[in-house]
Amino acid sequence: MSGAVQNRTVLNTFLIYALCVVAFLWLVIPFGMAILWSLVDPGTPWSFPDILPPKLSFGRWAQVWQTTSLPTALINSYMLAPTVAVITLALAAPTAYALGRLDFAGKGAVQVMVLLPMAVPGFVLAIFFSGLLFSLGIYSKFLSILLGHTILFLPYAIRILSVSFGQVNQDVIDAARDCGASPFTRFTTAYLPVLRPGILATLIIVFVLSIEEFAIAFILGSPDFTTVPTILYSYLGYNYIRPNAAVVSLILVVPNVALMLILEGLMKSANPSNVVGKG
Amino acid sequence: MKRASPFILGLCLLPGLGLILAAMGSVAYMAVAQSFGYFNLSGESRFSTQYWSEGLQSPQLWRAFFYSLKIALWGSLCSVLLAYPLALWLRRPFRGSLFISAVLKAPYLVHGLVAAFLFVNVISFHGFFNEILLWLGIIDRPLRMQNDRYGWGVIFLQIWKNIPFALIILSGAVQGISDDVLLAAQDLGAGAFDRFRKVVAPLTLNAMQAALVIIFIGAAGDFSFQVIAGPTSESSMAQYMVRLKETGGQWNAAAVVAVMLMVLALLGSLILALAARLTVKRVQA
Repeated sequence: MSGAVQNRTVLNTFLIYALCVVAFLWLVIPFGMAILWSLVDPGTPWSFPDILPPKLSFGRWAQVWQTTSLPTALINSYMLAPTVAVITLALAAPTAYALGRLDFAGKGAVQVMVLLPMAVPGFVLAIFFSGLLFSLGIYSKFLSILLGHTILFLPYAIRILSVSFGQVNQDVIDAARDCGASPFTRFTTAYLPVLRPGILATLIIVFVLSIEEFAIAFILGSPDFTTVPTILYSYLGYNYIRPNAAVVSLILVVPNVALMLILEGLMKSANPSNVVGKG
Repeated sequence: MKRASPFILGLCLLPGLGLILAAMGSVAYMAVAQSFGYFNLSGESRFSTQYWSEGLQSPQLWRAFFYSLKIALWGSLCSVLLAYPLALWLRRPFRGSLFISAVLKAPYLVHGLVAAFLFVNVISFHGFFNEILLWLGIIDRPLRMQNDRYGWGVIFLQIWKNIPFALIILSGAVQGISDDVLLAAQDLGAGAFDRFRKVVAPLTLNAMQAALVIIFIGAAGDFSFQVIAGPTSESSMAQYMVRLKETGGQWNAAAVVAVMLMVLALLGSLILALAARLTVKRVQA
């Protein structure tokens, strides 16, 4: 082993250990504390000078579930997100087809323009979209948030699906046509097998983004239409209840991280985080 | 690729691009029009520059503007600067590199509100950080770190959340640099810093600009981090805009802030991208 390679190996080992320490402070401590706070027994508060909670239980989880609007927020979020995902997929598909399979002048400009919702700060979009909906006489909160989320997440869906459409092999389409396949059969045999991971990835990404979206849900939904992020915000704002916030934080994070990991598996070739830019 | 007929192309672009343009155009139009007195939800709607003149004379608006600019600049520059060495380190796979990459990218999957909550838990008066410092004997009474006056907490959160994003964008660009190019520079006597400024930075300039622009826009429009972990004496532009709209129903004044925020996000990010290009060209020479 040459000296340079050996030095590099030693450096890598040192950096890995250093990073493990950073990761401990970076992730384990914050999440560990959130888990501990969520398990603080409601009858035995955790306060100074106790280093650890005096008593752990799932009492706080039960209390939050029974005495707050969390179940309603979960129903709202988990009804909204799949609806948004399906509608966004349906609306994005034709534009993605054009970007992935058609040749036309100004394609570069179209690719930039579909990213517009990502370039406008979320609360600007939320506030003035709400003004627009009032002007149009749309007062249904579910419908308003559904529309807002669909527009906000169209860029992600279009970007993922246009990559998938671009991967469909023209020879396979031509072969299916030459064999006398109907347009529907051509779609199911030539397009669908290639599009399937992209469709699933789009559904999952839009689902996760919709569950997590805060600005539009907060502005358009307040005060009576709650989603999981808006209920979390209520526990972090004026009505700061740390153990409740810990419970809702974990409910918000854990399923979405699991879904994003599934997504990583679906999109091994293209890093989904690269497409999502979520936060 | 097939050449599309204008009719088919129009039909394809209408549900996606058409909807985006209609919605975003309407939102921008609403904001600009309301800032000039139109689209009033109550009272008379007529052209007026009153809201702009009041807004531009308001010290609160300018404080919020420069505060958001500061957070966006610190957040975007630090995230990109810290992500570069990590991207270079992880450029070629080695034992444990996948784990490291996953750990570094993990904060990206954490919701902004959750991130702020986790952070506040750690730095609170009797939080983990203070307790450790007390236990180690470094301090003899807890430090008040939460909602610090400058906004370091918000800047830290921006960096925590955005390093993974910058890392993802820069990794692709850094991995695209051929080993031959870097080895040639090394053979010519370039040290690590010279290789960075003369080879890596120019070849990854587009990715660097993309990361800076996206992070800057997000940080300029921040609401969640500021409300939970930011200084209580300062407001971000988004926070100030929401307060105007929510508390007094001052839609027109909120619209002025919104237009200013859009200008800050777009113009600021463009200037930052341009400055990055000029800096890279200058240090390369």
